[in-house]
Amino acid sequence: MTNEAVAHESEHHAPPPNVEADVIARELIATTTGASGRFKAWAWILGILSVVGIVSLVVKFASVGDDSTKWGYVAALVSFLLSVAGGAPMIAMAPVMAKANWVRPITRLASIFSFVSVITLIMLIPLVAILPPLVTEGARRRTIWYLAPDYSPHIWGIAGLLLLIVTGMMLFYSAALPDFASMRDHSTGWRQRLGKRLARGWVGTDVQWRTLRMRIGMFGTFYFLILVFVNFLITTDFGQSMVPGWRDAILPMAHTVSGFQGGVAAVVIALYFSRRFMKLEKYVHLDAFWSLGRLLFALTLLWIYFFYSSFIVFWYGRSENDIATLNHQIKGPFLPVFIVGMLLIWFVPWWILIWNKVRRGTSAMVVGSFIILIGLLLDRIRMFVPAWSVPGDQIHQKWLAETPAAYWPTIFDILIMAGGISSIALIVMLMTRVIPVLSVWQVQEFNLLSKPIKYVRGHATLVAKPD
Amino acid sequence: MQQRRELDQVYTNRKLLNGQLDTPKWWLPTVSILGVVVLIGVFVIATMINKGLGVTGLARPVYWGLFITTFVFWVGISHAGIMISAILRLTQAEWRRPVTRAAELLTVFSLLTALVFPLIHAGRPWRIAYWIMPYDVARGIYPNIRSPLIMDPVAISTYLTGSTLFLYIALIPDLGNLRDRTTGWQNAMYTVLALGWRGNPRQWKMQTVGGILLSALMLPIFVSVHSIVSWDFAVASAVEGWHSTIFAPYFVIGAVHSGVSAVVTMMALMRWLWKWDDFIRPEHFDALARLLIVVATGWLAFTFLELTFALYGQDAPEIALREMQMFQWPWNMLFIIFFLTGYAIPVPMWLFKRVRTNIALMFWTSILVNVGMWLERFLIIVPGLARRTPFVYTWEAYRPSPVEWTIFIWSFAWVTFLMLLFSRFFPLVPLFEQKESQVFTDDVMIGRAKVPAIVREAE
Amino acid sequence: MATAEFGSHNWGMVVDVDKCIGCNACVIACQAENNIPLNSQDRVERARTISWIRVERYWEGDFPDAKARFIPIMCQHCENAPCEPVCPVYATYHNSEGMNVQVYNRCVGTRYCANGCPYIVRFFNYWEPVWPESLRNHLNPDVTVRSRGIMEKCSFCVHRIRRESRSARSAGTEIADGAVQTACSSACPTSALNFGNFNDPDSKVSKMKEDKRHYTLLDQFGTDPNVIYLAKIDADKKVGSGAAASHD
Repeated sequence: MTNEAVAHESEHHAPPPNVEADVIARELIATTTGASGRFKAWAWILGILSVVGIVSLVVKFASVGDDSTKWGYVAALVSFLLSVAGGAPMIAMAPVMAKANWVRPITRLASIFSFVSVITLIMLIPLVAILPPLVTEGARRRTIWYLAPDYSPHIWGIAGLLLLIVTGMMLFYSAALPDFASMRDHSTGWRQRLGKRLARGWVGTDVQWRTLRMRIGMFGTFYFLILVFVNFLITTDFGQSMVPGWRDAILPMAHTVSGFQGGVAAVVIALYFSRRFMKLEKYVHLDAFWSLGRLLFALTLLWIYFFYSSFIVFWYGRSENDIATLNHQIKGPFLPVFIVGMLLIWFVPWWILIWNKVRRGTSAMVVGSFIILIGLLLDRIRMFVPAWSVPGDQIHQKWLAETPAAYWPTIFDILIMAGGISSIALIVMLMTRVIPVLSVWQVQEFNLLSKPIKYVRGHATLVAKPD
Repeated sequence: MQQRRELDQVYTNRKLLNGQLDTPKWWLPTVSILGVVVLIGVFVIATMINKGLGVTGLARPVYWGLFITTFVFWVGISHAGIMISAILRLTQAEWRRPVTRAAELLTVFSLLTALVFPLIHAGRPWRIAYWIMPYDVARGIYPNIRSPLIMDPVAISTYLTGSTLFLYIALIPDLGNLRDRTTGWQNAMYTVLALGWRGNPRQWKMQTVGGILLSALMLPIFVSVHSIVSWDFAVASAVEGWHSTIFAPYFVIGAVHSGVSAVVTMMALMRWLWKWDDFIRPEHFDALARLLIVVATGWLAFTFLELTFALYGQDAPEIALREMQMFQWPWNMLFIIFFLTGYAIPVPMWLFKRVRTNIALMFWTSILVNVGMWLERFLIIVPGLARRTPFVYTWEAYRPSPVEWTIFIWSFAWVTFLMLLFSRFFPLVPLFEQKESQVFTDDVMIGRAKVPAIVREAE
Repeated sequence: MATAEFGSHNWGMVVDVDKCIGCNACVIACQAENNIPLNSQDRVERARTISWIRVERYWEGDFPDAKARFIPIMCQHCENAPCEPVCPVYATYHNSEGMNVQVYNRCVGTRYCANGCPYIVRFFNYWEPVWPESLRNHLNPDVTVRSRGIMEKCSFCVHRIRRESRSARSAGTEIADGAVQTACSSACPTSALNFGNFNDPDSKVSKMKEDKRHYTLLDQFGTDPNVIYLAKIDADKKVGSGAAASHD
């Protein structure tokens, strides 16, 4: 078959776009209403857990106070939340960068996660309050704030995260404008009023569309930069600088990348459940899982690469700094946590995702994603809990003379962590009630841009790549 | 986006095989001049081996200088091939097609050149056999596998083998094509090399599967090669400026930066020399420049982290080293040139589509990048060693000698020479990829707009 | 400091910085003993000298209250030597007597070991070594003349150790404390350099290193050297100020 024939046939078989688009809008907007009993039950459970988590945080703050050695698990949780909630919206900016078609329908789902960053900020506040001062006993501890004022980490930590939240929400909102307009036109009740207010007179003119694309590109890029910056701040100010002698240049990058890994895993899970329970099989194609699977696979390999890159340098270096760091991070009391974490974040998912068959389906993918999230949590615990358990009178020394004993979680730590993790699910679930979980206009665009065609003796997809 | 053009296959064949079937007039004089430069270089190398490393500018404590810098530089350039061919193949970027062959070729030849440097920089190059090969097994002395200098030859030779296979597999269909168009000894040569290629479905399938398998297998090697090269430096805890955990990914992304830029340089040259305006098109430069913006910015972030965490420890020797590297003559001049050429000039220029699609500008900016990337390696390796150590006894600077500069220039002449020699016998743009891209691309009408589209395998 | 697990000997040196007067006798003795080529003006200018032991001089204070400080530095024979794991051909390795040894025949001259060494006590032979005609017959027959293209460094006068252990074995006795002296330690007029066996608790060096003035050079690299320094005693200052080269 010649090219002309292919093009001709695809044109010929293209469904009339407007009718189809209408159906998409109606069906997707209908998913926001009519929550099932099971949905409500889960929302209640998660909501209670989240509230208990935040209450526990307050209780812990009141009871433990400023003893920084007791706050490791909260730091690990902040890092975990930042990873998942910060990393997931990165998928929302991918189409701008790579013109990938499969990602279009699920950008909404990814950008919803930026609302979870609010919880990250709440969890960060007590940490900022008890962060040890830069100068202890007349000696300045190792930080990125060489000669900057004492309160720099506190201010920049909060400001960075706030900026991340604002940019994430702007990214969400600027891509959601057409959908709010659809809600205004197709929905009823408070959703219609909300759509009317937030659509801000969207009618879909050329200028509006151009502005929209420009905004997505701008906020997407900006979001990425801020995410890297916040990862940098959290890993240095709330991790490395708590330990004398821990100097790992790759950690901010490794943290960002494994955060992205956690974000993609979370998106896979959310996508799986929304596809299944909201009956979105028509719109979420297996193509998306296939591509997410490949992305996840690549990120899994990056984790071990980054880890090994830093490990081998410490291992060979053998200076007092290096040995102290290895003892503290890996060989110390958290060795079992490290091993299990490494298996779960790298080896097991790697072995699961390597199979084409897995990536063509959904169930094994979702299992792999859960495993990655557990591994990610353990990885963060291994990274941050030992760091925070260094006694305050030692953190300005040149290197850690003695590895501190393991600090195991108290009931409050467990409740806080359970609450923080529940809040991710809760916020995503609640957001699906407010706005369609798949971006209406992007699904419409997806259908416009990709057409199944017959090709020689088989089937293929013709994917348009607009500039 | 320019309108897609239909190129008929006869035209494609004739145009892309012009290097083999009717050799251009400039070819012989250019190759001869390059050959002379190569011979001079070989003579200088031989003299150096004969006289000893005293002819270089090396002095305590700068034991590694221009040779190792150039070695790292060429290993970096070699990352072009797999980046373009394997990664872009696995991510299904259509625009890669016309440049794959040239990129793989650059990989093979730059690796061959890179390999020379560690060997000639050794004090007794005639004894390297038991460094690189475990021939001393009989005496119970294996090479020391703990040493990054053992992992280096292992990684590089694996990479070289893999890249050569990769290049060859992609060459087979074109060899069949050439076999059918030549006579005499050339025909005999292509017949042997084409391995009985007939272009039947089974052969195509095996060729494709081989390519994809090699792509996937080569990826870890691709990453490992420059990581291991970086560990040559990073494991030395006593050298400030070297002992950083970020080195492996930092070197790899820097290698991709310089390698892809080198591909851009080469594409521009190919377009001019063989007049392949129909095949190497502005949109290819555009796509490569977009890729380069991302890679270069990532690389800049790694550079920033490297610097930040060097100073993070707030140790006096490290701060002294960085002061020297950035603020003391002549390092400060090199540092400024490095930053301007490696990032500050080219990347902002690439942000404009006008620049990205202007071949002359792309040519010059891509050369700038490689000037910067060479300086980057130099600024990591030499100041790290020439630093003010705790012992005043060893405060010395390093100035490369004319011998080192000659061998440095030789390496460029040698790579170009090999490329041109190759171009005489084998097509630099893969014919079958070119034709395949014609089949796999299309235009679709969306509303009133004509949008370029590609054909993808259905799930 | 090595443990006894390797054998009965763990050779080491104790350098009493307080006694060093900076006379450079050790440097000359080493040069003569170990067949080190002459450090001509040209080589000094190009920083290509070879000196297995060197005496570094530091000035403390400003004129007229300036004080000269001396510290002899030679290969520290680290237990945890940075030069050893990086050598691709095992040309440098740790032997069973606590010494870091260089195998000239194996060395191909990658100079990687020299980059790894924080003490900068490893030297490369850029040229084939030559001596003036008058010195040809003065070469020490016990010590290999190193060809060009290889690394060399302080060997703790291993040939003297071997000679003593041979004669002790043939006599059926142990090597007596003080029987082995390196060229530098026997040339030192003030006994600042002391060589001996750390594994023998009664040896002179074992007792000396218990001195509370003891320190090692550049301890932040965790190299665990077999050369122990005893700090300079200064009437005006506390113990430890002699650690001029230990950078802080």
